[in-house]
Amino acid sequence: MVKIDLKLLKKQAEKEIESAGNAELLNDVSKKYLGKKGELILVLRSLVKLSKDERRKIGSEANKLKDFLKEKIQAKMEEVRFTGISLKESEWIDITIPGKKPFSGHLHPLALTKRKVEEIFQSMGFLIVEGPDMETEWYNFDALNIPKDHPARDVWDTFYLKNKRLLRTHTSPVQVRYMEKNNPPLRIIVPGNVFRHEATDSSHEFQLFQVEGLMVDRNISVANLKAIVGEFFRRFFEKDVKFRLRPDYFPFTEPSFDIAISCFVCQGKGCSVCKGTGWLEVAGAGMVHPNVFKNSKLVPKNWQGWAFGFGLERLAMLKYKINDIRLFRSGDLRFLNQF
Amino acid sequence: MSELLTKHFAEVEEIKKNGNDYIFDIDIRPNRASDCFSHMGIAREISAILNYQIKRFPSVKNTAGKQASVKVEVLAKSACPRYTARLVKDIKVGPSPKWLSDELKICGLRPINNIVDIANYVMLETGQPLHAFDAEKLAEGKIVVRFAKDKEKIVTLEDQKFNLSPDVLVIADSNHPIAIAGIKGGKSPEIGKSTKTIILESANFNPQVIRKSSKKLNLRTDASLRFEHGIDPNLTESAINRAAFLIGEIAGGKTAGSVIDVYPKKVLAKMIKLDLAYVERLLGIKISSIEIKKILERLGFEIKNSQSKIFYVKVPTFRLDVSLPEDLIEEIGRIYGYDRIPLVSPISYLIPAKRNLNVFWEDFVKNVLKEAGFIEAYNYSFFGEKEAKLFGYKEKELVQVENPLNQEYEYLRASLIPGLLKNVEKNISNFNNFKIFELGKVFKYPLIEKRQLSGLILDEEFYYLKGVVDLIFEKLGIGDVWYDEHQPTPEQSSQSIWHDRKCAEIKVNGKEIGFLGEISLKILSVLGIKNKVILFDIDFEKLSQLSSEEQEYRPISRFPSAIRDIAVLVPKDVKVAEILNKIYEAGGKAVRNVELFDLYEGREMPEGKKNLAFHIIYQVGDRTLSSSEIDSLQRKVIKSLEKEQGWKVRK
Repeated sequence: MVKIDLKLLKKQAEKEIESAGNAELLNDVSKKYLGKKGELILVLRSLVKLSKDERRKIGSEANKLKDFLKEKIQAKMEEVRFTGISLKESEWIDITIPGKKPFSGHLHPLALTKRKVEEIFQSMGFLIVEGPDMETEWYNFDALNIPKDHPARDVWDTFYLKNKRLLRTHTSPVQVRYMEKNNPPLRIIVPGNVFRHEATDSSHEFQLFQVEGLMVDRNISVANLKAIVGEFFRRFFEKDVKFRLRPDYFPFTEPSFDIAISCFVCQGKGCSVCKGTGWLEVAGAGMVHPNVFKNSKLVPKNWQGWAFGFGLERLAMLKYKINDIRLFRSGDLRFLNQF
Repeated sequence: MSELLTKHFAEVEEIKKNGNDYIFDIDIRPNRASDCFSHMGIAREISAILNYQIKRFPSVKNTAGKQASVKVEVLAKSACPRYTARLVKDIKVGPSPKWLSDELKICGLRPINNIVDIANYVMLETGQPLHAFDAEKLAEGKIVVRFAKDKEKIVTLEDQKFNLSPDVLVIADSNHPIAIAGIKGGKSPEIGKSTKTIILESANFNPQVIRKSSKKLNLRTDASLRFEHGIDPNLTESAINRAAFLIGEIAGGKTAGSVIDVYPKKVLAKMIKLDLAYVERLLGIKISSIEIKKILERLGFEIKNSQSKIFYVKVPTFRLDVSLPEDLIEEIGRIYGYDRIPLVSPISYLIPAKRNLNVFWEDFVKNVLKEAGFIEAYNYSFFGEKEAKLFGYKEKELVQVENPLNQEYEYLRASLIPGLLKNVEKNISNFNNFKIFELGKVFKYPLIEKRQLSGLILDEEFYYLKGVVDLIFEKLGIGDVWYDEHQPTPEQSSQSIWHDRKCAEIKVNGKEIGFLGEISLKILSVLGIKNKVILFDIDFEKLSQLSSEEQEYRPISRFPSAIRDIAVLVPKDVKVAEILNKIYEAGGKAVRNVELFDLYEGREMPEGKKNLAFHIIYQVGDRTLSSSEIDSLQRKVIKSLEKEQGWKVRK
């Protein structure tokens, strides 16, 4: 009688499964034991010769072994599949080789700064308004309470044009232009080119980009100006910025201020950037002068408001640590490519 | 002290130590020139900030009794609101004591002799310019204030000769001008070693008159600077007395009699009504009425009814800059300290800001160009004669600057192109290839000011930039774009900056919106640019008008498309557009798209021919086209192409 040793069969099959290194070999093992002419089938066939009891006993054992081996082979199959992949993954790359950048252009730092400023003020409900670069004497000076033949006019070195216009020296004319056509309450910012007839050096330019702000309502105060300006600085420089107002003079505002922020470089202790003062002047501001309301055809006693103006170059220089204002309009790609 | 002045008054720009003293360089703004171009003015500010008392000048004694005085005649009354003079006798002219000449030097003045130095010193102290004449050198000992006569001349103390005109105010004796009023003394009555008797002048002049004279003669002095800004007419007397006192102390002079004073219309103090509620509303902080009163009084203002909520404030006459309640509020605010005002968010309607479409489309287009690899430049809004000529602008088309900074910037730019080509010149040594653009204003005479968009690429195909322009239009939602051959008039052609056979007019809805093409070699050679330059130049005002964010989704067809290729051999002068039109026409609705994928004009081609290859994409929206349908469409297309003279479809 053939001795049916299922234990031995199990041992032998397990060993072969274990040593099968790839899917092909494993398939062979599977065929050998579980196939149509496999070992297990042979076992089951040989049962005919046995008694009913023995048949039932060995039959169930053989079926258990079949399930067991199926599982075993399947598990091993998963294993050899990953081994194959991991073999492929053993190829390596040098991750220190510089990446290949998709080529992209660059926006001008003043455009980027302008966007940031506009975004902050728009989120506070300010409308963006523009005005002409070629301006009349009326809007640039007279309407802003800067009388003819007055030394105050000398502060603005002006380019005059041969078409009875001048190049605006500030964006403030748009205050009057806008208030003539729009009744308060109003909140606007005015970005634009301004021109100053002066010699250039690392901190002076004859063409600049300015942003004007104007807020008018019944009860707008210096305290409100401080709140808006403070919020602007915090969002623009992305940190808490100490700032101060100190007395200044502009004919179109009363009172007038100069707005300075605490020097970033020395934290207000005094250094070469802030010329030892600890403060960096960034803007001029003040409460709209009654004559400006009058010249805008508004009744001064009904309205109060503030205005400010700052140079975008100045802000960009502080933000990006640019040391020469002439770089902005130099068209030098070594500069422009950095933004 | 410097901190306090900067915080409450005006910026101290520099402090220098000088022995035991400190020299402050203070940036006095024009509104305070009238009272603070003087040590007295600064002292008053300091006393107000620190609440200190201020010392008064010692009074002057008469030492020579009643004697003959000076005759003063003011003919130009409105130009000279006040003329104060004093006769000082028995003076000894000599060098100034050391302290005096030192002080002058520190303040940037040159010591001359004790009399002139005292006059200058008192000007620095009080802000009132003074002048001294040798009394014996005046014809008839008389002083006349009048406008100059035509062709009158004067030689100044510095030996400068001036031809005067009737709008220049002068001080004259009975014959000739002896000084340009408020600006400079004349040579003839100069104080010399032998001078014994002097006439001191302390006058007030109309600021506009002095400003005009000073501009006309191109002569600015410490005196004219002060007069131009306006001075309190009530200052003349105390200043002349101060000078007389010092002359008595230093040069041994005896002042004779009382002052001669021509002052027909005395200037009185202004009154301003100040509502304390307005002070609070404008500053955004409540300051007690007691504190407001104290601040104003420390600055020399007087308050009539300090119990009320409305003050009547008397303004000292030296504060020419104060005439409105807002002016007083500034005084209160700055002395109180702006740093003590809290940050309070404004209470206002919450209206979301409307979008500014100009700005929106600018940003949008800039982004498109940036993504296409372009670098943005900001160039100056000017160009020079050289560019004007080279780019063929006539002078009458351009806006000229009356006072240009230099020749390079004589005109407002009428185009962005010269600036961009300058960028090429500048960068070509560092970069061998780049794409650059600018969006900015251009100007034309008389009053045209509009935005333009221009960009260029180097050493690339025309079609590359055309693709960029197409991309811009596509992103801006502008359809119906057409490129037309530019047909310049003979006159235009000789001036044109474009290569006349490699240039297109860009049209939208049949209207010109810009140009695209190669820059003429003539221009490039003048500029010394060796690269090929392809440039687009678009009217941005028109472009942003046409732009639209509206876009409609076209459903993806459920039915597959089929692609058939076709290659056509055509004469060289046939345009791609002509072939495309034929294909679309013959294929009808089933032709979804036609793409040019190859263009060959090489040597292997038959003489005068070029080969073009297209993908034709067939698709319809309601069914799948069968291959026999497509074949028959394709045959139709081929037939239609081959109908043309000299066209051949290659099989």
